[in-house]
Amino acid sequence: MVASVLAVKFRTQRHVLERERWRILIVIGGALWMLVLLPWTFWGASALTGESSEFRQDVLVGVVLLLTLGWVSVPILITGLDDTLDPGRFASFGVSARRIMAGLTVAALLTIPVAFFVVFFLILTSVWRDGGAGAVTVAIAGALLTVLSLVFVARVAAMWSTRVLASRLARGAAIAMIAVGLALVAPLAWVLFSDGLDAVLENYLVVFLDQAAVTPLGAGMSAPNAAAAGDWWGVAWRLGEQVLWVLVLWGAWRANVTHALVHPKFRGAGTRRREDTIIASAQRSRIRGVLPPMSVAATAVRSRLLRYWFSDPRYLANMMGVFVFPVVFIALVMPVTGLDVRWSFAAPVLLAASIGWGRHNDVAYDSSALWLDVVSGRIGTDVLRGRMSAIVAWALPATLVACAAIVMWSGLWHIAPALVGACVGVLGLTLGVAAVSSVLFPYRAPAPGENPLGAEVGSVGAGLVAQLVSSTATVVLLPLVIVPLVLALAVDPRWAWLACAAGFAMGPIAYIAGVRVAGRAYDSRAGRLLAAVT
Amino acid sequence: MSQESAGAPLLPGANPEVAVPAIALRKLTKRFGATLAVDAIDLDIPAGSFYGVVGPNGAGKTTSLSMATGLMTPDSGTAYIHGVNLWTAPDEAKRMLGVLPDGLHSFDRLTGAELISYAGLLRGMDRGTVLERRDDLLAALDLDSAGRTLVTDYSAGMTKKISLACALVHAPRVLVLDEPFEAVDPVSAGAIRRILTAFVQSGGTVVMSSHVMALVERLCDRVAVIGGGQILAEGTLDEVRGGRELEDRFVDLIGDVADKRDLTWLRQS
Repeated sequence: MVASVLAVKFRTQRHVLERERWRILIVIGGALWMLVLLPWTFWGASALTGESSEFRQDVLVGVVLLLTLGWVSVPILITGLDDTLDPGRFASFGVSARRIMAGLTVAALLTIPVAFFVVFFLILTSVWRDGGAGAVTVAIAGALLTVLSLVFVARVAAMWSTRVLASRLARGAAIAMIAVGLALVAPLAWVLFSDGLDAVLENYLVVFLDQAAVTPLGAGMSAPNAAAAGDWWGVAWRLGEQVLWVLVLWGAWRANVTHALVHPKFRGAGTRRREDTIIASAQRSRIRGVLPPMSVAATAVRSRLLRYWFSDPRYLANMMGVFVFPVVFIALVMPVTGLDVRWSFAAPVLLAASIGWGRHNDVAYDSSALWLDVVSGRIGTDVLRGRMSAIVAWALPATLVACAAIVMWSGLWHIAPALVGACVGVLGLTLGVAAVSSVLFPYRAPAPGENPLGAEVGSVGAGLVAQLVSSTATVVLLPLVIVPLVLALAVDPRWAWLACAAGFAMGPIAYIAGVRVAGRAYDSRAGRLLAAVT
Repeated sequence: MSQESAGAPLLPGANPEVAVPAIALRKLTKRFGATLAVDAIDLDIPAGSFYGVVGPNGAGKTTSLSMATGLMTPDSGTAYIHGVNLWTAPDEAKRMLGVLPDGLHSFDRLTGAELISYAGLLRGMDRGTVLERRDDLLAALDLDSAGRTLVTDYSAGMTKKISLACALVHAPRVLVLDEPFEAVDPVSAGAIRRILTAFVQSGGTVVMSSHVMALVERLCDRVAVIGGGQILAEGTLDEVRGGRELEDRFVDLIGDVADKRDLTWLRQS
């Protein structure tokens, strides 16, 4: 069975690479990048060798904690989890979890990142050379167990978040996940801001790392220190703990696979809605005054997209993702690097940019359902106007709330117009670019009902062109609205009003122009869009 | 390819004495890599006909219908809807078309009723008309009790029916339906048959692809057999079947399964 599962994995990957050869470049590029990192690892290991054993342990435990965070968050937030071996695909074959788990486990371990991290940790075992052969042997065992933990923890995190997001409780689950994330970050941010980085490093970090060293997360890295000190009971206890952690993670993964094998997708609980909100939106489209009037078709599209934003797990996952960078920046980067309070103004700007840039593949989220839009005539501009205004409907209030919070927290009220202007400008510019990019360079996104965190083989490079083009356009255009904000913060507050004017002028102009260009492109590419997104 | 006129680009060489076909395909071609999926197809589908398109799996039926409805850009050639070039005057041509594709997703976070409303509003219809037709269609297709349920919770047959309702809501002149009866229960299939037959009797045109020969024989007055991306036979039902069952004629044209292995291991005793 192991051979069969592996054959499926490698054959699928080979077929994908044969079909789209340019992806080989991505694989080679990734491999080269990892190879470049290896000499640095050697350098780091040799630099560490001369330090005290306690310091070595603290550094290694810290590295593992950061890597664990990366292995958990990168598949969820950025790349998606390779769904070639999605257990749901085995459901119709009637195989048990017991039979395929061995294959899935080996397949999960036979990847380039795993190979890299095995080499990475084995290089780091040289840190314990002075502890003798025993310490190095323990370090190797600890390193291999740590890699297993990383691989399994990523699987468990991604599968459980997928399962929660795919459930009927997706909206509540998304909010709960944001709340848990904030709850984890908030105390740290509080301590960093109140005591400063130096005090935290001096007082808390070492204590924290010492505590982490006895948890399953750091036990594999702290075992060689115990071996070097001749504490063999300590070694046995730590390695045993690490083995137990690997088994628990593997068990959780297996439980999830078992669940996936007998719970087919696409089945719901028969949610009923009393009101036809689409037809109601046609009524609302006649209300003039507050907003520029939209056509009935555009209003229908907006109404549909609003439903998706607040109920489809794929959109909810995206919505959650946009808050990560601003929160990490304000709660961790700022206090750790000791940035001036004015830097906090970057957070709402980052939020607006994350929202806008993140929609560069927006159209693809319709998947093949976009046939209904395509057969309905030349309505590209209406479709894009509806899509983008649905994003604005939640993005603009979210950004403005972030602006208000930052201004209140920083007390820099006189710069507030600049911040609001810059945010409106950034949101408009990035959404304009995203609208055009999502029509000209769409790439496959998870289809409706599919794993919202799923990704096809080699997906990191799948949207490379789209990401490159939209990033370049964004980087070129954003200074137009950000520079005046920076001048207001750094040079003279009088720039604030210019920043405000620049943002309020350029944001809407870029947004409207983007929607129009994208709408025309949508009409002229209508016959190719379906093939491009499926 | 197409002869452009001052208004909408019209079917070149159309004889004013002869009725303009509901759908005219001219040298329609599509290639996927090394595979020639549709090979320069020419086909006229008369207005007011109930037209069947049959062919084995992978013959190019869905690709041809996709190119005839604006869902897929042809490599070369074009399609005319009542004489209007679909690819140069899509606004006018698509207004006349109602489309039911096969195997594509629906906007499944909407309820059935909302999906019909959405299709109607996209076509620029006014709210009152959409509301009235939405309720009519839900009742006619036996979906009124499911109208408030999300499409994601529908069975395959219900999804097919709601997509058909979306194709009908703007009362098009030509209906292009890819496997409209697949997964639909017999009672609903009867209702759909009656709707489509009445539509044709009132002057509309239905183009339907199907693998069920009996259904094509029962409903269609004309038929085209597609194989290997080409039209192998085309004409009235009687012309194509030549006094035999359509299925026998189909097997003649396409060829039977070449390698008839006897699956002895499958026998239970």
